[in-house]
Amino acid sequence: MNYPFWNVGIGYGVLMASIAVIHVFVSHFAIGGGLYLVVAETIARRNQDEEKLNFLKKLSKFFVLVTVVFGALTGVGIWFIIGLLNPAATEVLIHNYVWGWATEWTMFVTEITAAILYYYGWKHMSGRNHLIIGWIYFIAAWGSLFVINGIITFMLTPGEWIQTGNFWDGFFNPTFWSTLWLRTGVCIMLAGLYSLLVISREKPSDFKVSMVRFNAIWGLAGLLIMVPTMYWYWHAMPETITVTALKMMPTPIKALTASFWNAGVIALMLIIFGFIIPRRLHFITALVIMLLGLAWFGHFEWMRESIRKPYVITDYMYGNTVEVAKKDAYKKNGYLSEIKMRTGDDGKDLFLHSCRTCHTMSGYKPLKPAFDGTEKEFIQSVIMGAHKLKGNMPPFWGTKKEAGLIADHIYKKLDQRDLSEIYTLTGKALGAKVYEVRCGRCHEIGGYNDKSEVLLTGATEESLGMILDMAGDFAPEMPAFTGNAQEKKALIEYLLTVKE
Amino acid sequence: MLFTLPSYNFISAPLWIVTVLHIVTLTLHFLAMNFMVGGLAIVLFGCFKNKQENPVVEKFIRIFPSMMSATVTLGVAPLLFVQLVYSKPIYAATVTSAWFWLMIFMVAMMSYYFLYGAAFSTKFIGMKQRIYLTIALMGFVYVSFVYSATFAMGEHPDVYQALYAGNQSGLVLNPDVFSYIFRWMHMLAGAVMVGGFFVVLLGRDNEQAFIVGRRFYLGAFLVSFALGIAYLFALKDILRLIMRSPAIWILTGSIALSVLSVFWLYKRKIVLTSIALLVSFVGMVIVRHIVRLIYLKGSALAFDPAQIPFQPQWSIFIIFLVFFVVAIAAVAYMFKLFYGEQV
Repeated sequence: MNYPFWNVGIGYGVLMASIAVIHVFVSHFAIGGGLYLVVAETIARRNQDEEKLNFLKKLSKFFVLVTVVFGALTGVGIWFIIGLLNPAATEVLIHNYVWGWATEWTMFVTEITAAILYYYGWKHMSGRNHLIIGWIYFIAAWGSLFVINGIITFMLTPGEWIQTGNFWDGFFNPTFWSTLWLRTGVCIMLAGLYSLLVISREKPSDFKVSMVRFNAIWGLAGLLIMVPTMYWYWHAMPETITVTALKMMPTPIKALTASFWNAGVIALMLIIFGFIIPRRLHFITALVIMLLGLAWFGHFEWMRESIRKPYVITDYMYGNTVEVAKKDAYKKNGYLSEIKMRTGDDGKDLFLHSCRTCHTMSGYKPLKPAFDGTEKEFIQSVIMGAHKLKGNMPPFWGTKKEAGLIADHIYKKLDQRDLSEIYTLTGKALGAKVYEVRCGRCHEIGGYNDKSEVLLTGATEESLGMILDMAGDFAPEMPAFTGNAQEKKALIEYLLTVKE
Repeated sequence: MLFTLPSYNFISAPLWIVTVLHIVTLTLHFLAMNFMVGGLAIVLFGCFKNKQENPVVEKFIRIFPSMMSATVTLGVAPLLFVQLVYSKPIYAATVTSAWFWLMIFMVAMMSYYFLYGAAFSTKFIGMKQRIYLTIALMGFVYVSFVYSATFAMGEHPDVYQALYAGNQSGLVLNPDVFSYIFRWMHMLAGAVMVGGFFVVLLGRDNEQAFIVGRRFYLGAFLVSFALGIAYLFALKDILRLIMRSPAIWILTGSIALSVLSVFWLYKRKIVLTSIALLVSFVGMVIVRHIVRLIYLKGSALAFDPAQIPFQPQWSIFIIFLVFFVVAIAAVAYMFKLFYGEQV
């Protein structure tokens, strides 16, 4: 809350992902490709294979243009975007890990220099010296992965750092080693996929076939490393994270499942086009495999980022930059006193800093479908009980008055007609919609926090009516039922059909 | 909770070390950047006789992509250090101008690819190359402008707070142009001056290149001197504070060294020119740093980085120093291997 909030129309997650996923897709290739080049060059020189060496020269050019330019600048792009989307979390990371980042920078300097000299050195350098530079490149590149991995994994599993504040406790956190080797596997896989793309443009020949097989081996080797390390990664995460995700967070679970499918299809295509019909590998096929690789990475990063919810740094800072350490101060003084840069509209400021990091009104993770047709009192109650909602939301530690200001701000942007009018529904269908909007965010029938058995056993129209009248008294987080008589009747009708 | 969560409001090495590292890396970044911008301006607009056949022009065009790499790589460290110490005003300013700030990396990438496009051409210096290089230069002008506007805004919390209050979309550029326009133009002129020096350095055996480089060096020096004076007067009340700080002596020394560098360049004493230019350059970067401190201490933030608590992380800092030395050694070794075999 120390910083202004960038009220951009696009969802924060989308903006971050569009830069970050592209960068990691290229940067991991930069590492794996470095290993690929030196290994392939060693083999080619040993066998005096000029054709292979020429291919590697071509690959080097592609490598430099993609990794040194696009990879490096998108890395800068990530640095810029995290400072714009969450300067508070970035500040925490910089203060704790500046020397880690500075160390990574020294590796980066070595890596970039080596990449350029490796590319330009094909013409005149001896094989031995050229390979020395290539190996220096790979070691420096992998070293930079080693460092950044410590910082990124810290965000999800800070481990003992939460108690000690010690650099090394945070760096070598519970998911450090599993992710390091998982990402190394990814690097190797991507080296194979990118090289397949380059070789696919060559004319059909025995050489092309041999290179396709060689690249497919890399792709599959990477996947083979990724399988056990992904298992390791999942089990290295604290159960509080994984169990919660399985229980109430469909986004990371769906993303993880999708990544398994991506990996499976990549493996299948590598086997088919790498070994069974390598002569049939065309550019489009190789591009599809690459896109699947990009999809894998997108799903993996989406899983990694979303499973961390509601935190941006687990147990330390929530995604909306609310700090766990300041809980008592927030509860005493509210959020407004902590918001340093104000617009003059308190409701807006509170909404931006409490909700807008994750939610837009109509676009990404929209709030309008959740609140259209409801009332300010209802919205205020939902905000006060946000931590009970399905989806693992951060708690609201501001004052009730501040929740009311946020509710006012949201309410002005809603469709304020009744639910029946907005969705042109009556009867049971209206009841289902009323349940979805007024109850279902916390009580999923057959799912999260399902109270239907308790609620509906022996229920009658009259008993359900009484329960709805008393809803606000059941728990501090539970909103009172503020729907109109038609909605109440429809909801009861719907619940009685659920009972049946 | 039975324990207190760690605070992040600390700096993990003595401030003077961070400041020295910041100034050193920023100087290196500026030198590489000035090679790019100044070199581009001279290659495009320099009156070489038979430019198409001048080997120095070709050398510059071939080297530009590598120097762009150096510019980007050397720019990472100073940005890290400035955000470490000045996170609050810097982030606030960048968020206020978010879209312009974010566009920097995309524009830089575009310029980078155009530099490669020019470098990979076989014909020097054809129309296609000129177009590519001009687009690249325009990109760098944009980047430098946004940097100047945003960092100037970072020194005026009252400005970014007022701007943010009115517009949170990130489509706001510092409207107080007078506060940074002379600074920005001074830096551009300075870049051309340094570019002229590099033309002289790389073209010391090429009389045509030497003459052109020297001409740009003198011309850009005069322009940047005038703009620098204009910038000083644009500082208004802050100028008085600068006059009472060490900055005035450093600035005076830097200007004197700049004048000397021109004199030595005309005497063809390249080594002395290099030393004078480099020391002058470092002086200017230090003055820039002091000006920022003066602004921020006097602002509504009353920001003084010396007040940030110090909580050492000696082990990782030492590891960084070791890797820093190893990186220098590795780079030197690689250059030795590379140039050792060059015909």
